[in-house]
Amino acid sequence: MGMQGDFYQLLKEQGYQLGGSAAGAPGQEMTTATTILAFKYRDGVLVAGDRRATAGNMVMYDRTDKVLEIDPHSVLAIAGVPATAYEMVRILEHSFKYYRRTQLQELSFDGKLRAVSKLLKENVAAALAGTGAVVPVFAGYDVDHGAAKIYFYDILGAEFEGVEYAVSGSGSPTIRGILHYLNTWGDRPLSALSEEEATIQTLRLLTSAAEFDSATGGVNRDANLYPVVKLITQDGLRTVPDSTLKPLFERNVTRVRR
Amino acid sequence: MYEEPYRWVEAVSNRRTYLDEQFKQGSPVVAFAYDGGLLLTTVSKGTPKLYEIYDRIALAGMGHPADLEKLRFSLLEMAHTEGFNRSPSDVTGARLVKYGVAPVIKQAFEEVFKAPFIVKILLAELGQKREKDAFLTINYDGTFEETTAYAVLAATPTIQKEMTAYLRQEAGPALSLEQAVGVALRTWALGDRAQQQAVEESNQSDETSRSSRAAPLPTDAASLLAHLRSSVGEKMIECALLERNYPGTSKYRALKPDELGRLLPKDLRSPVAE
Repeated sequence: MGMQGDFYQLLKEQGYQLGGSAAGAPGQEMTTATTILAFKYRDGVLVAGDRRATAGNMVMYDRTDKVLEIDPHSVLAIAGVPATAYEMVRILEHSFKYYRRTQLQELSFDGKLRAVSKLLKENVAAALAGTGAVVPVFAGYDVDHGAAKIYFYDILGAEFEGVEYAVSGSGSPTIRGILHYLNTWGDRPLSALSEEEATIQTLRLLTSAAEFDSATGGVNRDANLYPVVKLITQDGLRTVPDSTLKPLFERNVTRVRR
Repeated sequence: MYEEPYRWVEAVSNRRTYLDEQFKQGSPVVAFAYDGGLLLTTVSKGTPKLYEIYDRIALAGMGHPADLEKLRFSLLEMAHTEGFNRSPSDVTGARLVKYGVAPVIKQAFEEVFKAPFIVKILLAELGQKREKDAFLTINYDGTFEETTAYAVLAATPTIQKEMTAYLRQEAGPALSLEQAVGVALRTWALGDRAQQQAVEESNQSDETSRSSRAAPLPTDAASLLAHLRSSVGEKMIECALLERNYPGTSKYRALKPDELGRLLPKDLRSPVAE
Protein backbone atom coordinates (compact mmCIF):
# COMPACT_ATOMS: atom_id res chain seq x y z
CA MET A 1 0.00 0.00 0.00
CA GLY A 2 1.60 3.23 -1.17
CA MET A 3 1.66 4.93 2.19
CA GLN A 4 4.56 7.10 1.09
CA GLY A 5 2.37 8.64 -1.61
CA ASP A 6 4.69 7.77 -4.49
CA PHE A 7 2.61 7.48 -7.64
CA TYR A 8 5.50 6.48 -9.90
CA GLN A 9 6.33 3.59 -7.59
CA LEU A 10 2.69 2.52 -7.77
CA LEU A 11 2.81 2.57 -11.57
CA LYS A 12 5.98 0.47 -11.59
CA GLU A 13 4.45 -2.08 -9.25
CA GLN A 14 1.74 -2.48 -11.86
CA GLY A 15 4.32 -3.18 -14.55
CA TYR A 16 4.61 0.27 -16.08
CA GLN A 17 7.94 1.21 -17.63
CA LEU A 18 8.85 4.64 -18.92
CA GLY A 19 10.28 4.59 -22.43
CA GLY A 20 9.58 0.87 -22.82
CA SER A 21 12.17 -1.23 -24.62
CA ALA A 22 14.32 1.36 -26.26
CA ALA A 23 15.87 -0.28 -29.25
CA GLY A 24 17.33 2.44 -31.46
CA ALA A 25 16.10 2.55 -35.01
CA PRO A 26 19.07 3.84 -37.00
CA GLY A 27 18.35 6.06 -39.93
CA GLN A 28 15.00 7.09 -38.60
CA GLU A 29 14.64 10.78 -37.81
CA MET A 30 13.13 11.50 -34.44
CA THR A 31 10.97 14.52 -33.83
CA THR A 32 13.15 16.99 -31.94
CA ALA A 33 13.98 20.68 -32.35
CA THR A 34 13.17 23.69 -30.27
CA THR A 35 14.28 26.71 -28.39
CA ILE A 36 13.09 27.06 -24.82
CA LEU A 37 14.17 29.61 -22.28
CA ALA A 38 13.40 30.64 -18.74
CA PHE A 39 14.59 33.63 -16.77
CA LYS A 40 13.72 35.35 -13.54
CA TYR A 41 12.07 38.75 -13.84
CA ARG A 42 10.78 41.17 -11.24
CA ASP A 43 7.64 39.24 -10.15
CA GLY A 44 8.69 35.64 -10.68
CA VAL A 45 9.88 33.51 -13.54
CA LEU A 46 9.08 33.66 -17.26
CA VAL A 47 9.18 30.47 -19.32
CA ALA A 48 8.81 30.47 -23.08
CA GLY A 49 9.19 28.21 -26.06
CA ASP A 50 8.80 28.31 -29.82
CA ARG A 51 6.12 26.15 -31.37
CA ARG A 52 7.83 24.13 -34.07
CA ALA A 53 8.27 20.36 -33.98
CA THR A 54 10.59 18.91 -36.62
CA ALA A 55 11.80 15.51 -37.77
CA GLY A 56 14.98 15.98 -39.73
CA ASN A 57 14.24 18.51 -42.42
CA MET A 58 10.54 18.16 -42.07
CA VAL A 59 8.33 20.45 -40.05
CA MET A 60 5.95 18.10 -38.27
CA TYR A 61 3.78 20.66 -36.57
CA ASP A 62 3.85 24.41 -36.06
CA ARG A 63 1.59 24.77 -33.05
CA THR A 64 3.31 22.62 -30.45
CA ASP A 65 3.11 23.68 -26.83
CA LYS A 66 6.49 22.97 -25.26
CA VAL A 67 5.88 24.75 -21.99
CA LEU A 68 3.79 22.22 -20.12
CA GLU A 69 1.98 23.03 -16.91
CA ILE A 70 2.49 20.45 -14.18
CA ASP A 71 0.68 22.19 -11.37
CA PRO A 72 -0.36 25.77 -10.54
CA HIS A 73 3.22 26.69 -9.58
CA SER A 74 5.48 24.73 -11.89
CA VAL A 75 6.13 23.99 -15.55
CA LEU A 76 8.38 21.71 -17.53
CA ALA A 77 9.63 23.27 -20.75
CA ILE A 78 10.73 20.50 -23.05
CA ALA A 79 13.40 20.05 -25.68
CA GLY A 80 13.95 16.64 -27.15
CA VAL A 81 11.63 13.82 -28.06
CA PRO A 82 8.08 15.03 -27.45
CA ALA A 83 6.59 11.56 -26.99
CA THR A 84 8.79 10.89 -23.95
CA ALA A 85 8.50 14.45 -22.67
CA TYR A 86 4.70 14.45 -22.74
CA GLU A 87 4.68 11.11 -20.95
CA MET A 88 7.00 12.50 -18.27
CA VAL A 89 4.74 15.49 -17.77
CA ARG A 90 1.74 13.21 -17.40
CA ILE A 91 3.56 11.17 -14.77
CA LEU A 92 4.69 14.30 -12.91
CA GLU A 93 1.24 15.86 -12.98
CA HIS A 94 -0.34 12.73 -11.54
CA SER A 95 2.50 12.23 -9.05
CA PHE A 96 2.20 15.72 -7.56
CA LYS A 97 -1.59 15.45 -7.30
CA TYR A 98 -1.37 11.97 -5.84
CA TYR A 99 1.13 13.14 -3.24
CA ARG A 100 -1.04 16.09 -2.25
CA ARG A 101 -4.19 14.00 -2.02
CA THR A 102 -2.68 11.10 -0.09
CA GLN A 103 -0.38 13.05 2.23
CA LEU A 104 -2.73 16.03 2.66
CA GLN A 105 0.05 18.51 1.96
CA GLU A 106 1.81 19.85 -1.14
CA LEU A 107 5.00 18.17 -2.29
CA SER A 108 7.89 20.52 -1.53
CA PHE A 109 9.69 22.24 -4.38
CA ASP A 110 12.77 20.12 -3.70
CA GLY A 111 10.60 17.01 -3.81
CA LYS A 112 9.29 18.06 -7.22
CA LEU A 113 12.85 18.54 -8.47
CA ARG A 114 13.81 15.08 -7.30
CA ALA A 115 10.84 13.63 -9.15
CA VAL A 116 11.98 15.25 -12.41
CA SER A 117 15.56 14.00 -12.20
CA LYS A 118 14.39 10.55 -11.15
CA LEU A 119 12.32 10.28 -14.34
CA LEU A 120 15.24 11.48 -16.46
CA LYS A 121 17.52 8.89 -14.88
CA GLU A 122 14.99 6.15 -15.59
CA ASN A 123 15.05 7.31 -19.17
CA VAL A 124 18.82 7.17 -19.70
CA ALA A 125 18.71 3.90 -21.68
CA ALA A 126 16.18 5.26 -24.11
CA ALA A 127 18.06 8.56 -24.32
CA LEU A 128 21.33 6.82 -25.22
CA ALA A 129 19.59 4.59 -27.74
CA GLY A 130 18.52 7.75 -29.50
CA THR A 131 14.80 7.26 -29.17
CA GLY A 132 13.92 9.24 -26.08
CA ALA A 133 16.37 12.01 -25.19
CA VAL A 134 14.67 14.79 -23.26
CA VAL A 135 16.53 17.89 -22.07
CA PRO A 136 14.03 19.94 -20.11
CA VAL A 137 14.00 23.12 -18.10
CA PHE A 138 11.98 22.94 -14.89
CA ALA A 139 10.81 26.27 -13.53
CA GLY A 140 8.47 27.29 -10.79
CA TYR A 141 7.70 29.36 -7.80
CA ASP A 142 8.69 27.90 -4.43
CA VAL A 143 5.79 29.14 -2.34
CA ASP A 144 7.34 28.02 0.97
CA HIS A 145 10.48 30.06 0.37
CA GLY A 146 8.88 32.85 -1.65
CA ALA A 147 11.32 32.54 -4.53
CA ALA A 148 11.25 31.77 -8.25
CA LYS A 149 13.55 28.93 -9.26
CA ILE A 150 14.92 27.53 -12.51
CA TYR A 151 16.66 24.21 -13.11
CA PHE A 152 18.05 22.65 -16.25
CA TYR A 153 19.19 19.11 -16.91
CA ASP A 154 21.41 17.06 -19.13
CA ILE A 155 19.98 13.91 -20.73
CA LEU A 156 21.37 11.74 -17.93
CA GLY A 157 19.32 13.53 -15.31
CA ALA A 158 21.97 15.72 -13.70
CA GLU A 159 20.33 18.79 -12.29
CA PHE A 160 21.77 22.31 -12.44
CA GLU A 161 20.31 25.44 -10.97
CA GLY A 162 20.00 28.34 -13.38
CA VAL A 163 20.56 31.27 -11.07
CA GLU A 164 19.35 33.91 -13.53
CA TYR A 165 18.31 32.04 -16.65
CA ALA A 166 18.38 28.69 -18.45
CA VAL A 167 17.99 27.62 -22.07
CA SER A 168 17.66 24.36 -23.96
CA GLY A 169 17.10 23.05 -27.46
CA SER A 170 18.82 23.37 -30.81
CA GLY A 171 18.32 27.14 -30.97
CA SER A 172 19.64 27.76 -27.49
CA PRO A 173 23.34 28.47 -28.23
CA THR A 174 22.29 31.60 -30.11
CA ILE A 175 20.33 33.11 -27.29
CA ARG A 176 22.47 31.90 -24.44
CA GLY A 177 25.06 34.46 -25.46
CA ILE A 178 22.45 37.18 -25.79
CA LEU A 179 21.02 36.41 -22.34
CA HIS A 180 24.49 36.62 -20.83
CA TYR A 181 25.14 39.93 -22.58
CA LEU A 182 21.78 41.43 -21.59
CA ASN A 183 22.08 40.31 -18.00
CA THR A 184 25.65 41.55 -17.58
CA TRP A 185 25.82 44.73 -19.64
CA GLY A 186 22.18 45.58 -20.34
CA ASP A 187 20.56 48.68 -18.80
CA ARG A 188 19.29 46.54 -15.99
CA PRO A 189 19.72 42.88 -15.04
CA LEU A 190 16.98 40.50 -16.21
CA SER A 191 15.67 40.13 -12.68
CA ALA A 192 14.70 43.82 -12.63
CA LEU A 193 12.56 43.70 -15.78
CA SER A 194 8.84 44.30 -15.57
CA GLU A 195 6.40 41.76 -16.98
CA GLU A 196 6.06 43.70 -20.24
CA GLU A 197 9.79 44.27 -20.67
CA ALA A 198 10.48 40.61 -19.97
CA THR A 199 7.90 39.58 -22.58
CA ILE A 200 9.40 41.90 -25.21
CA GLN A 201 12.90 40.51 -24.61
CA THR A 202 11.51 36.99 -24.89
CA LEU A 203 9.93 37.72 -28.28
CA ARG A 204 13.22 39.23 -29.49
CA LEU A 205 15.24 36.27 -28.19
CA LEU A 206 13.03 33.67 -29.85
CA THR A 207 13.04 35.63 -33.10
CA SER A 208 16.87 35.62 -32.98
CA ALA A 209 16.92 31.89 -32.33
CA ALA A 210 14.66 31.28 -35.33
CA GLU A 211 16.95 33.43 -37.46
CA PHE A 212 19.89 31.04 -36.99
CA ASP A 213 18.21 27.70 -36.26
CA SER A 214 15.98 26.10 -38.88
CA ALA A 215 14.38 23.87 -36.26
CA THR A 216 13.06 26.79 -34.24
CA GLY A 217 9.82 28.38 -35.37
CA GLY A 218 9.69 32.15 -35.10
CA VAL A 219 6.70 34.41 -35.07
CA ASN A 220 4.45 33.94 -38.07
CA ARG A 221 2.15 36.92 -38.19
CA ASP A 222 0.34 35.74 -41.32
CA ALA A 223 -0.74 32.60 -39.48
CA ASN A 224 -1.25 34.53 -36.23
CA LEU A 225 1.33 32.27 -34.62
CA TYR A 226 3.17 33.45 -31.53
CA PRO A 227 5.43 31.64 -29.07
CA VAL A 228 4.11 30.23 -25.81
CA VAL A 229 4.99 32.59 -22.95
CA LYS A 230 4.08 31.66 -19.37
CA LEU A 231 4.57 33.62 -16.17
CA ILE A 232 4.77 32.01 -12.76
CA THR A 233 4.47 34.20 -9.70
CA GLN A 234 3.43 33.73 -6.11
CA ASP A 235 -0.22 33.85 -7.25
CA GLY A 236 0.20 31.00 -9.70
CA LEU A 237 0.64 30.44 -13.38
CA ARG A 238 -0.54 32.58 -16.29
CA THR A 239 -0.21 32.27 -20.05
CA VAL A 240 0.37 35.56 -21.88
CA PRO A 241 -2.41 35.63 -24.50
CA ASP A 242 -1.70 36.17 -28.21
CA SER A 243 -3.71 39.37 -28.01
CA THR A 244 -1.01 40.79 -25.72
CA LEU A 245 1.92 39.32 -27.65
CA LYS A 246 0.74 40.68 -31.00
CA PRO A 247 0.95 44.43 -30.27
CA LEU A 248 4.18 43.97 -28.29
CA PHE A 249 5.72 42.19 -31.25
CA GLU A 250 4.57 44.80 -33.75
CA ARG A 251 5.75 47.71 -31.67
CA ASN A 252 9.02 46.36 -30.30
CA VAL A 253 10.30 43.51 -32.40
CA THR A 254 9.58 44.25 -36.05
CA ARG A 255 12.44 46.13 -37.57
CA VAL A 256 11.54 49.51 -38.93
CA ARG A 257 13.28 50.16 -42.25
CA ARG A 258 13.68 53.79 -43.13
CA MET B 1 -19.72 -23.41 14.27
CA TYR B 2 -20.88 -21.13 11.43
CA GLU B 3 -21.14 -23.96 8.93
CA GLU B 4 -24.88 -24.20 9.43
CA PRO B 5 -26.70 -21.56 7.35
CA TYR B 6 -28.79 -20.43 10.28
CA ARG B 7 -25.68 -19.69 12.35
CA TRP B 8 -24.23 -17.62 9.55
CA VAL B 9 -27.39 -15.53 9.22
CA GLU B 10 -27.37 -15.05 12.95
CA ALA B 11 -23.73 -13.99 12.91
CA VAL B 12 -24.39 -11.44 10.19
CA SER B 13 -27.32 -10.06 12.08
CA ASN B 14 -25.17 -9.75 15.23
CA ARG B 15 -22.74 -7.86 13.12
CA ARG B 16 -25.42 -5.37 12.13
CA THR B 17 -26.29 -4.75 15.77
CA TYR B 18 -22.61 -4.31 16.59
CA LEU B 19 -22.00 -1.92 13.69
CA ASP B 20 -25.17 0.11 14.32
CA GLU B 21 -23.87 0.64 17.82
CA GLN B 22 -20.57 2.03 16.45
CA PHE B 23 -22.21 4.82 14.49
CA LYS B 24 -24.51 6.09 17.23
CA GLN B 25 -22.14 8.85 18.34
CA GLY B 26 -20.74 9.61 14.88
CA SER B 27 -20.94 12.99 13.24
CA PRO B 28 -23.39 13.16 10.30
CA VAL B 29 -22.31 14.35 6.85
CA VAL B 30 -24.32 16.60 4.53
CA ALA B 31 -23.66 17.08 0.81
CA PHE B 32 -25.67 18.83 -1.89
CA ALA B 33 -25.46 20.87 -5.06
CA TYR B 34 -25.53 24.66 -4.77
CA ASP B 35 -25.12 27.50 -7.22
CA GLY B 36 -21.33 27.16 -7.71
CA GLY B 37 -20.93 23.37 -7.53
CA LEU B 38 -21.14 20.86 -4.69
CA LEU B 39 -20.81 21.47 -0.95
CA LEU B 40 -19.82 18.90 1.69
CA THR B 41 -20.14 19.66 5.38
CA THR B 42 -19.54 17.93 8.68
CA VAL B 43 -18.36 18.68 12.19
CA SER B 44 -15.31 16.73 13.27
CA LYS B 45 -13.40 16.08 16.46
CA GLY B 46 -9.82 16.54 15.36
CA THR B 47 -9.35 14.10 12.48
CA PRO B 48 -10.71 15.53 9.25
CA LYS B 49 -13.56 13.68 7.54
CA LEU B 50 -13.61 15.37 4.13
CA TYR B 51 -11.02 14.52 1.49
CA GLU B 52 -10.02 15.09 -2.13
CA ILE B 53 -10.00 11.91 -4.22
CA TYR B 54 -9.59 13.10 -7.78
CA ASP B 55 -10.00 16.15 -10.00
CA ARG B 56 -13.79 16.23 -9.58
CA ILE B 57 -14.42 13.71 -6.79
CA ALA B 58 -14.56 14.28 -3.03
CA LEU B 59 -14.93 11.82 -0.17
CA ALA B 60 -16.66 12.10 3.18
CA GLY B 61 -16.90 9.39 5.79
CA MET B 62 -18.31 8.34 9.13
CA GLY B 63 -16.85 5.67 11.34
CA HIS B 64 -13.42 4.45 12.34
CA PRO B 65 -10.60 6.72 11.10
CA ALA B 66 -8.22 3.82 10.36
CA ASP B 67 -10.82 2.03 8.22
CA LEU B 68 -11.65 5.25 6.41
CA GLU B 69 -7.93 5.81 5.70
CA LYS B 70 -7.59 2.32 4.24
CA LEU B 71 -10.52 2.84 1.88
CA ARG B 72 -9.42 6.37 1.05
CA PHE B 73 -6.05 5.04 -0.08
CA SER B 74 -7.56 2.37 -2.27
CA LEU B 75 -9.88 4.95 -3.84
CA LEU B 76 -6.91 7.25 -4.50
CA GLU B 77 -4.88 4.42 -6.02
CA MET B 78 -7.70 3.33 -8.29
CA ALA B 79 -8.57 6.86 -9.37
CA HIS B 80 -5.01 7.89 -10.17
CA THR B 81 -3.92 4.76 -12.03
CA GLU B 82 -7.14 4.86 -14.05
CA GLY B 83 -6.72 8.58 -14.72
CA PHE B 84 -3.15 8.02 -15.87
CA ASN B 85 -3.71 4.85 -17.91
CA ARG B 86 -6.92 6.01 -19.54
CA SER B 87 -7.85 9.64 -18.98
CA PRO B 88 -9.09 11.85 -16.15
CA SER B 89 -12.59 11.87 -17.65
CA ASP B 90 -12.77 8.07 -17.30
CA VAL B 91 -12.49 8.33 -13.53
CA THR B 92 -16.07 8.36 -12.31
CA GLY B 93 -17.56 7.98 -8.86
CA ALA B 94 -19.90 5.25 -10.04
CA ARG B 95 -17.06 3.05 -11.30
CA LEU B 96 -14.98 3.63 -8.17
CA VAL B 97 -17.89 2.55 -6.02
CA LYS B 98 -19.48 -0.28 -8.00
CA TYR B 99 -16.29 -2.04 -9.12
CA GLY B 100 -13.94 -0.69 -6.49
CA VAL B 101 -14.77 -0.21 -2.83
CA ALA B 102 -18.36 -1.48 -2.48
CA PRO B 103 -17.47 -5.15 -3.20
CA VAL B 104 -14.54 -4.91 -0.77
CA ILE B 105 -16.75 -3.53 1.99
CA LYS B 106 -19.40 -6.16 1.35
CA GLN B 107 -16.91 -8.99 1.47
CA ALA B 108 -15.40 -7.77 4.73
CA PHE B 109 -18.88 -7.45 6.19
CA GLU B 110 -19.88 -11.01 5.34
CA GLU B 111 -16.65 -12.73 6.33
CA VAL B 112 -17.77 -13.21 9.89
CA PHE B 113 -14.37 -14.41 11.13
CA LYS B 114 -12.71 -11.16 10.13
CA ALA B 115 -13.25 -7.57 11.18
CA PRO B 116 -15.69 -5.53 9.08
CA PHE B 117 -15.00 -1.97 7.95
CA ILE B 118 -16.58 0.34 10.50
CA VAL B 119 -17.34 2.96 7.92
CA LYS B 120 -20.03 4.69 5.89
CA ILE B 121 -18.85 6.51 2.81
CA LEU B 122 -20.13 9.34 0.67
CA LEU B 123 -18.61 10.27 -2.68
CA ALA B 124 -19.53 13.53 -4.39
CA GLU B 125 -18.79 13.90 -8.07
CA LEU B 126 -18.90 17.18 -9.95
CA GLY B 127 -20.22 16.46 -13.45
CA GLN B 128 -19.04 18.24 -16.58
CA LYS B 129 -22.57 19.58 -16.70
CA ARG B 130 -24.81 20.29 -13.74
CA GLU B 131 -27.17 17.44 -14.70
CA LYS B 132 -24.26 15.01 -14.40
CA ASP B 133 -23.51 15.79 -10.75
CA ALA B 134 -23.71 12.65 -8.64
CA PHE B 135 -23.64 11.56 -5.03
CA LEU B 136 -22.91 7.97 -4.01
CA THR B 137 -23.29 6.58 -0.54
CA ILE B 138 -22.06 3.19 0.64
CA ASN B 139 -23.30 1.57 3.83
CA TYR B 140 -21.11 -0.62 6.08
CA ASP B 141 -22.54 -3.76 4.41
CA GLY B 142 -21.53 -2.61 0.93
CA THR B 143 -24.97 -1.55 -0.33
CA PHE B 144 -24.74 1.65 -2.30
CA GLU B 145 -27.11 4.28 -3.55
CA GLU B 146 -26.74 6.94 -6.21
CA THR B 147 -28.52 10.29 -6.12
CA THR B 148 -28.21 13.54 -8.02
CA ALA B 149 -29.12 16.54 -5.88
CA TYR B 150 -28.11 15.66 -2.32
CA ALA B 151 -26.95 12.88 -0.02
CA VAL B 152 -26.29 12.43 3.69
CA LEU B 153 -24.65 10.03 6.13
CA ALA B 154 -26.04 9.48 9.61
CA ALA B 155 -26.30 6.79 12.29
CA THR B 156 -29.55 5.19 11.08
CA PRO B 157 -31.63 5.12 7.89
CA THR B 158 -34.50 6.85 9.72
CA ILE B 159 -32.33 9.80 10.63
CA GLN B 160 -30.94 9.92 7.10
CA LYS B 161 -34.51 10.14 5.84
CA GLU B 162 -35.30 13.01 8.16
CA MET B 163 -32.22 14.86 6.95
CA THR B 164 -32.95 14.34 3.25
CA ALA B 165 -36.55 15.42 3.81
CA TYR B 166 -35.21 18.66 5.28
CA LEU B 167 -32.79 19.09 2.37
CA ARG B 168 -35.58 18.52 -0.12
CA GLN B 169 -37.34 21.56 1.32
CA GLU B 170 -34.37 23.82 1.94
CA ALA B 171 -31.55 23.00 -0.48
CA GLY B 172 -31.49 23.72 -4.17
CA PRO B 173 -29.16 24.54 -7.04
CA ALA B 174 -29.98 28.26 -6.78
CA LEU B 175 -28.49 28.77 -3.30
CA SER B 176 -25.46 31.00 -2.92
CA LEU B 177 -22.48 29.57 -1.03
CA GLU B 178 -23.37 31.48 2.11
CA GLN B 179 -26.99 30.25 2.03
CA ALA B 180 -25.78 26.73 1.27
CA VAL B 181 -23.43 26.67 4.26
CA GLY B 182 -26.35 27.76 6.46
CA VAL B 183 -28.63 25.00 5.13
CA ALA B 184 -25.87 22.40 5.44
CA LEU B 185 -25.21 23.25 9.08
CA ARG B 186 -28.90 23.22 9.98
CA THR B 187 -29.26 19.82 8.30
CA TRP B 188 -26.24 18.59 10.24
CA ALA B 189 -27.80 19.89 13.46
CA LEU B 190 -31.08 18.14 12.64
CA GLY B 191 -29.27 14.84 12.17
CA ASP B 192 -27.00 15.20 15.18
CA ARG B 193 -29.93 16.14 17.43
CA ALA B 194 -31.93 13.13 16.24
CA GLN B 195 -28.95 10.86 16.95
CA GLN B 196 -28.60 12.26 20.46
CA GLN B 197 -32.30 11.80 21.05
CA ALA B 198 -32.10 8.19 19.86
CA VAL B 199 -29.27 7.49 22.29
CA GLU B 200 -31.18 9.05 25.18
CA GLU B 201 -34.33 7.10 24.31
CA SER B 202 -32.52 3.79 24.19
CA ASN B 203 -31.02 4.54 27.61
CA GLN B 204 -34.42 5.28 29.08
CA SER B 205 -36.39 2.60 27.27
CA ASP B 206 -35.76 0.09 30.03
CA GLU B 207 -37.53 2.09 32.68
CA THR B 208 -40.18 4.13 30.89
CA SER B 209 -42.85 2.71 28.66
CA ARG B 210 -42.32 2.96 24.92
CA SER B 211 -45.64 4.69 24.37
CA SER B 212 -44.38 7.93 25.86
CA ARG B 213 -42.13 8.80 22.95
CA ALA B 214 -40.93 12.37 22.92
CA ALA B 215 -42.86 14.72 20.68
CA PRO B 216 -41.15 15.57 17.35
CA LEU B 217 -38.58 18.31 17.87
CA PRO B 218 -39.04 21.70 16.20
CA THR B 219 -37.21 22.14 12.90
CA ASP B 220 -37.17 25.94 12.71
CA ALA B 221 -33.83 27.58 11.96
CA ALA B 222 -33.47 29.09 15.44
CA SER B 223 -33.75 25.84 17.36
CA LEU B 224 -31.45 24.00 14.92
CA LEU B 225 -28.84 26.71 15.27
CA ALA B 226 -29.22 26.55 19.03
CA HIS B 227 -28.40 22.83 18.91
CA LEU B 228 -25.46 23.51 16.61
CA ARG B 229 -24.08 26.16 18.92
CA SER B 230 -24.34 23.91 21.95
CA SER B 231 -22.78 20.87 20.23
CA VAL B 232 -19.96 22.44 18.24
CA GLY B 233 -18.00 23.47 21.32
CA GLU B 234 -14.45 22.22 20.93
CA LYS B 235 -15.13 20.56 17.58
CA MET B 236 -14.34 21.88 14.15
CA ILE B 237 -16.78 22.75 11.37
CA GLU B 238 -15.48 21.33 8.10
CA CYS B 239 -16.64 22.48 4.67
CA ALA B 240 -15.26 21.44 1.30
CA LEU B 241 -16.30 22.43 -2.20
CA LEU B 242 -16.12 21.02 -5.68
CA GLU B 243 -16.28 24.32 -7.50
CA ARG B 244 -17.40 24.31 -11.10
CA ASN B 245 -15.46 27.45 -12.06
CA TYR B 246 -12.31 26.84 -10.00
CA PRO B 247 -9.28 27.40 -12.26
CA GLY B 248 -7.20 24.36 -13.22
CA THR B 249 -8.16 20.71 -13.39
CA SER B 250 -8.55 20.01 -9.65
CA LYS B 251 -11.89 21.37 -8.53
CA TYR B 252 -11.67 20.40 -4.85
CA ARG B 253 -11.14 23.12 -2.27
CA ALA B 254 -11.44 22.94 1.51
CA LEU B 255 -12.76 26.18 2.99
CA LYS B 256 -10.10 27.83 5.14
CA PRO B 257 -11.04 28.94 8.66
CA ASP B 258 -11.12 32.67 7.82
CA GLU B 259 -13.34 32.17 4.76
CA LEU B 260 -15.59 29.78 6.64
CA GLY B 261 -15.79 32.29 9.47
CA ARG B 262 -17.25 34.87 7.08
CA LEU B 263 -19.79 32.41 5.67
CA LEU B 264 -21.15 31.03 8.93
CA PRO B 265 -24.52 32.22 10.26
CA LYS B 266 -23.94 35.43 12.19
CA ASP B 267 -24.50 34.14 15.69
CA LEU B 268 -22.05 31.26 15.11
CA ARG B 269 -19.14 33.31 13.91
CA SER B 270 -17.34 33.95 17.16
CA PRO B 271 -16.85 30.44 18.59
CA VAL B 272 -15.38 28.76 15.51
CA ALA B 273 -13.79 31.55 13.53
CA GLU B 274 -10.33 31.28 15.04
